[in-house]
Amino acid sequence: MSERAHDVEALALAMFAAVPLYLTQTISYVPLAAFHLFLLAVTLRVAAGKSAEVLPAKLMRVVGIAYIPFYAVDALLLSRSAIAASTHLVLFIAAYQPIEAVRRRIDGQRLLITGLIFTAAIASATHVTIVPFVVVFAFFFFRQLMHVAHRDSTAAAGVSTPEIPSSRAAAFYLGATSAAGLLLFPLLPRVGTPIIPGFTGSLTNAATGLSDTINLNNQRTISADTTVVTRVWMGPDAIPFFTPLRLRGAVYDRFRNNEWLQGRREFTPLPMSPNGSVRIARDSGFTRRAYAQQRFVTGTRLFLPAGTYQIDGVPQVYEGPTRDVYMVWQPRGDMIAYDLRMARDVSPLEVRHVPVTNYPVTAPIAAMARRIVGPHTDPLQQSADIERYLSTTFTYIPDPSQIGRRMTVDDFLLRERRGHCEYFAAGMVALLSALGTPARIVGGFYGGKLNPLTGYFVVRREDAHAWVEVYDGASWRTFDPTPPSLRPGNAKGGLIAVYASALSDSLNYFWDRHILTFGLADQLRLFVDTLERARDALGALQRSVRRALTPRAAEVAGVILAIAALLLLMARQRRPPFELLRRYLASLGIEVGPATTMEEALSRLPAADAAALAPLIELYERERFSARPPRGVRATIRRSVRR
Amino acid sequence: MSSVVAPANSVLSPQSSVLPWQFTGVVRLTRIGTSFVLFTIFVGFAAINTGNNALYIGLSFMLGALILSGVASKGGLKHLRVELDRVDDAWAGREARGRLRVVNRSRIWNVRDLILVSEELAGPVYVGIVERRGEIGVDADFLFHRRGLVQLKSIDLYTRYPFGFFLKKRRVRYSGDVVVYPRLLDADETRERFRAVEGELHPSSRPGPGSDVHGFREYARGDSLRHVAWKKSASLGRWIIKQTELEAGRAVHVVVDPYKPRGASEDEFERMVSEAATFIDDALRRELEVVVSMPRVELRARGGEAARAIFRALALLEPVYEPFVPTLDRGSVVFAVRRSDERKSA
Repeated sequence: MSERAHDVEALALAMFAAVPLYLTQTISYVPLAAFHLFLLAVTLRVAAGKSAEVLPAKLMRVVGIAYIPFYAVDALLLSRSAIAASTHLVLFIAAYQPIEAVRRRIDGQRLLITGLIFTAAIASATHVTIVPFVVVFAFFFFRQLMHVAHRDSTAAAGVSTPEIPSSRAAAFYLGATSAAGLLLFPLLPRVGTPIIPGFTGSLTNAATGLSDTINLNNQRTISADTTVVTRVWMGPDAIPFFTPLRLRGAVYDRFRNNEWLQGRREFTPLPMSPNGSVRIARDSGFTRRAYAQQRFVTGTRLFLPAGTYQIDGVPQVYEGPTRDVYMVWQPRGDMIAYDLRMARDVSPLEVRHVPVTNYPVTAPIAAMARRIVGPHTDPLQQSADIERYLSTTFTYIPDPSQIGRRMTVDDFLLRERRGHCEYFAAGMVALLSALGTPARIVGGFYGGKLNPLTGYFVVRREDAHAWVEVYDGASWRTFDPTPPSLRPGNAKGGLIAVYASALSDSLNYFWDRHILTFGLADQLRLFVDTLERARDALGALQRSVRRALTPRAAEVAGVILAIAALLLLMARQRRPPFELLRRYLASLGIEVGPATTMEEALSRLPAADAAALAPLIELYERERFSARPPRGVRATIRRSVRR
Repeated sequence: MSSVVAPANSVLSPQSSVLPWQFTGVVRLTRIGTSFVLFTIFVGFAAINTGNNALYIGLSFMLGALILSGVASKGGLKHLRVELDRVDDAWAGREARGRLRVVNRSRIWNVRDLILVSEELAGPVYVGIVERRGEIGVDADFLFHRRGLVQLKSIDLYTRYPFGFFLKKRRVRYSGDVVVYPRLLDADETRERFRAVEGELHPSSRPGPGSDVHGFREYARGDSLRHVAWKKSASLGRWIIKQTELEAGRAVHVVVDPYKPRGASEDEFERMVSEAATFIDDALRRELEVVVSMPRVELRARGGEAARAIFRALALLEPVYEPFVPTLDRGSVVFAVRRSDERKSA
């Protein structure tokens, strides 16, 4: 590989190192794009065999001096972040260096700056795709290091020889470094890592599928955001009864100006039992356990599956901002993991009066409601009638923007007769309000996909949904007027797509759980597990030994030990003269290392000892270096050093 | 004719110089290695401070690279063996071409960018790669600073491979004996003397290999029994050696007297040997036959192996402390060290 090709590779590597910064948004696009454009121009010039001086070196030096005060301005006024300003500075240096390198070789410094860009890139990255990025970067980084090592070596030797291709070597060392890194990763000390494992990653720029209000004055847009919100594990026996999952996250029970609101109330701390459980409902029917890992997307609100009556393993739980919605106190981290207990039927811990919503029912809506339910008077029967009516006679529009204008609930029910899930839920609540039945809209996530590889349900942002809960006087019953086949999470994919998605999610889960959120608690658990396994293995060994410890076995063991001792003795007898002398010199306080000759060791001895040892060393050298070594040298040396 | 040996510049002192990157010990951090270590410390601090596992991934990689760099270079050097294949005619003070064989017995590690340094090597020898379980022959220039039998004992191996973070060194033993011929002086110094004998290159009564009897002398230890004059010995009752007449038409008789008087320095003795060697070399280059007389040995050569034998004898010539009484002819060229009070032209 020519020197020019190496230069081009080094420039390309610096550009590549900065690519993740576009996604992590550590800095804005403008300086990043400027950096890439500048380095691209330099790279093209170098590739064409020209000098790297896109700008004259003198001008670059002036700009470099001017950048020093600019850094402070950037940190204080422009970026308002020392990290962002430092990243800008590193990018500037990376752009400056190729021009400086025309004058003098600064390969080491250039690689260091490339490494700093790489560090800035990975420091803010959370997605699993950072792994292939690291691998590719490390491969080329190693190649560059090998190139620099080669050039330094040939310069030291005063020769000029072409470099041997280093791709295979770089790949080999990449594999070995990865293996070493994997071993080291769990062992490195953790101090500031979140204790509770779960999910992580920046969520500030992602659109949530769950909003504070259902504002029908604004056009809603639904984006196919596949970010994982929650993963739920439950036993196979529980799946038929508790799926499709409905993760409850918001309750909208007040209406104002064509907008459904969450009834504001105080956050009420819930009592926690001594074993750390928080009971939120009364259970009836059979119960099952589940385990959930959840990412916080709306404050620290919990998305509990419908049917949950108890939460285990979380810090303080609060009820709010509406009744039957919960949040936790967790000042740090954006993920949580907890155990759940779910029952076939749940009811509130306290019986209370639930009013009908304040939706302003108009006469046409009331007439429509009565027409739908007919003679039925039971609230649940009425709810079932309305659910069936809406889901079978109304049209579901997956993209609300298709409607093209503002639409009220009355418009939806009386004229348009099409909309998305929020209209279906709001329409049903309006109709039930007309009938005097207490009902509310519940926002959350629906369905999710079962990962066949790992056995958990994965619920994503795109699974956001709204449905209805009807109060029957004792408990809330779930109804969903949105046509079932059109609810989120019901899209059908091919088998390959399902497995590909499952594989991808498993990979993401592994990355989230075991890499990104690996913390002190995991280290302690790993340590304890290792100890326990060692203890178990020792116990099993002891039991095996006890079982096998018969007189005959003892005889065999004795014979084996005797043979081993004999072999050991013979091995000691066979020690080479160098080893015998080395040990003897060590006993005299002279260490003979790999770079020490016996003569050097001899020169460090006191004169008397040296004189005594000199014949032995001469004997050793004759044995070692002569074409016809004398016999019995080893024995002579052994005897002498023993004396 | 005998020589006048004046005090001269030392022919003993080695001019070996240590290269700036050479060091004692076994490992040294390079500049890029220092930067990398500092960078690793920086990332480690950032990782621990923030608990950011992405930084921990980077830190793990960097520490892995550092550890691997150390293990690879040590593991590679540890299994290297250096053997001396050959050294061509080695003259003190002149580079001699030779060949080394580097064997890598490691099952895992290739070794690249290997530099061999030794006192006996004229300069660092660069080896591009020694593959695992492989060997490579490499040409090397040797430079010996004095004549004699040189035992090659150790050679230093340096490598920056794989990442250039460390300059690793390992001293390995290798064996080999090299006979280093005397240092050849500037030919001008001996040309004057050569001119003096040039006119007498035609046959002259001079002892040497031949068929005609030149004379008889007392037996000296080391003389071949083939030259004993048995009848004369029997009649005289002691061993007499028969000397034959030198047959060569164009021949030079050189006598090297290894007597080293008290007070003469070793440098003076070495210079005398160098002058003799230079003279003989010059004569051989002129395609003359050279007969060299030294105590107990008389060698004759016109070139080739026989010439090597002469230089080998000069290489191994040790000073004696009793005067040597050679048989001199009129045209003999004598090289000897004389006490300062008896230095004079012979």
